[in-house]
Amino acid sequence: MIEFLIAAILYLVLAVGLLYRVFRGPTAADRMCAADSLDLVTAVALALYSVYSGRSIYLDISVVVALLGFVSTVFVARYLEGRL
Amino acid sequence: MVVRIVIDILLALGVFFTAVGVIGVNRMPDVFGRLQASTCIATLGTICAMLAAVIHTAVNGGESVAYVKLGLILLLVLLTNPASNHALCKAAYKMGIRPKKELVVDDYKEDDLQ
Amino acid sequence: MGRPARFARWLSVFIFCFLFWLLLTWSVAPRELFWGAIISAVVSGFTARFFIHARPFWLYHPKRLLMLLIYCVVIFPWELIKANLSMAKLVLDPKLGDYQAGILRVPGSKRIRSTYGLAMVSNSITLTPGTITMDVAEDEEGDIWYYIHWIDVAETDREKAGEAIKGRMERWIGRIWQ
Repeated sequence: MIEFLIAAILYLVLAVGLLYRVFRGPTAADRMCAADSLDLVTAVALALYSVYSGRSIYLDISVVVALLGFVSTVFVARYLEGRL
Repeated sequence: MVVRIVIDILLALGVFFTAVGVIGVNRMPDVFGRLQASTCIATLGTICAMLAAVIHTAVNGGESVAYVKLGLILLLVLLTNPASNHALCKAAYKMGIRPKKELVVDDYKEDDLQ
Repeated sequence: MGRPARFARWLSVFIFCFLFWLLLTWSVAPRELFWGAIISAVVSGFTARFFIHARPFWLYHPKRLLMLLIYCVVIFPWELIKANLSMAKLVLDPKLGDYQAGILRVPGSKRIRSTYGLAMVSNSITLTPGTITMDVAEDEEGDIWYYIHWIDVAETDREKAGEAIKGRMERWIGRIWQ
């Protein structure tokens, strides 16, 4: 199924646009917002690639990436708020 | 054949809404606007792609574990993303970041919940 | 509502964990069922007090499960698609920046009192692009107030703004968690 590969590549190309905001963002909250979305896009691209290649090991990595992105974002947000 | 067309349309919609989110994150002038735009990536950008993957695995008879895991990723994203977005928005407000343009109403500052 | 009995709490979380185990392993071989039951029992023994505060079997009711299914499959995706399209219109507009953002204090429904219901309403509001819940507060009279950051304020009157943002979703959630 070639379209899953194409979609995964498009998602990764879009992730580069988010990376630009991670470098540019004037404040830490901007960077963290873009990094959170970057995690999501990477997880979706990994899941699509696993469907294309038919190997389910990428799915496990995708679950872990999505969960780690959430945990790190919440931790950084608590730190920025000054309650950690 | 019909299934394949449906999958293609879903993938295209997913890429489109992710592109909307990325453009929004790069174009919006302040943190709050960027957070709002990045919700597009988490909702329809993820849902459409995952739905396409689930339909493909279910129809082509992949391992049953595969589509349960795909659904699990979707569920996790939908449950956890609002929490992190809310935490970031509150943190940005409490750090003292204010939007470039004046807010129309700001009840949060008046009531002062800090 | 008093505190629920310990066994009822444990049983409620145990049923949920075991159903999740069945979903993940997708087999009814006796060995899988045995280990699944043991692991679910241990896990729910440790975590039941975090999940259940009142009314342990509230959700295990055909009518409420049906309502939850309708909400998750029909009502919420419809709101999501509408909000996503308006967000796309806002972002792809060549002259960006003529939107008017604001933070509104919006009254919550009196029917929804449980923490799960409040969390579900505020998560639904945050997941629709264009609105983010910043805080949920309860005042002295016991009314619930949501502080919502709205990217394009169309309505500064609080009652009408609340109706526009979450009216339909809140009515449906009120039927699930009263």
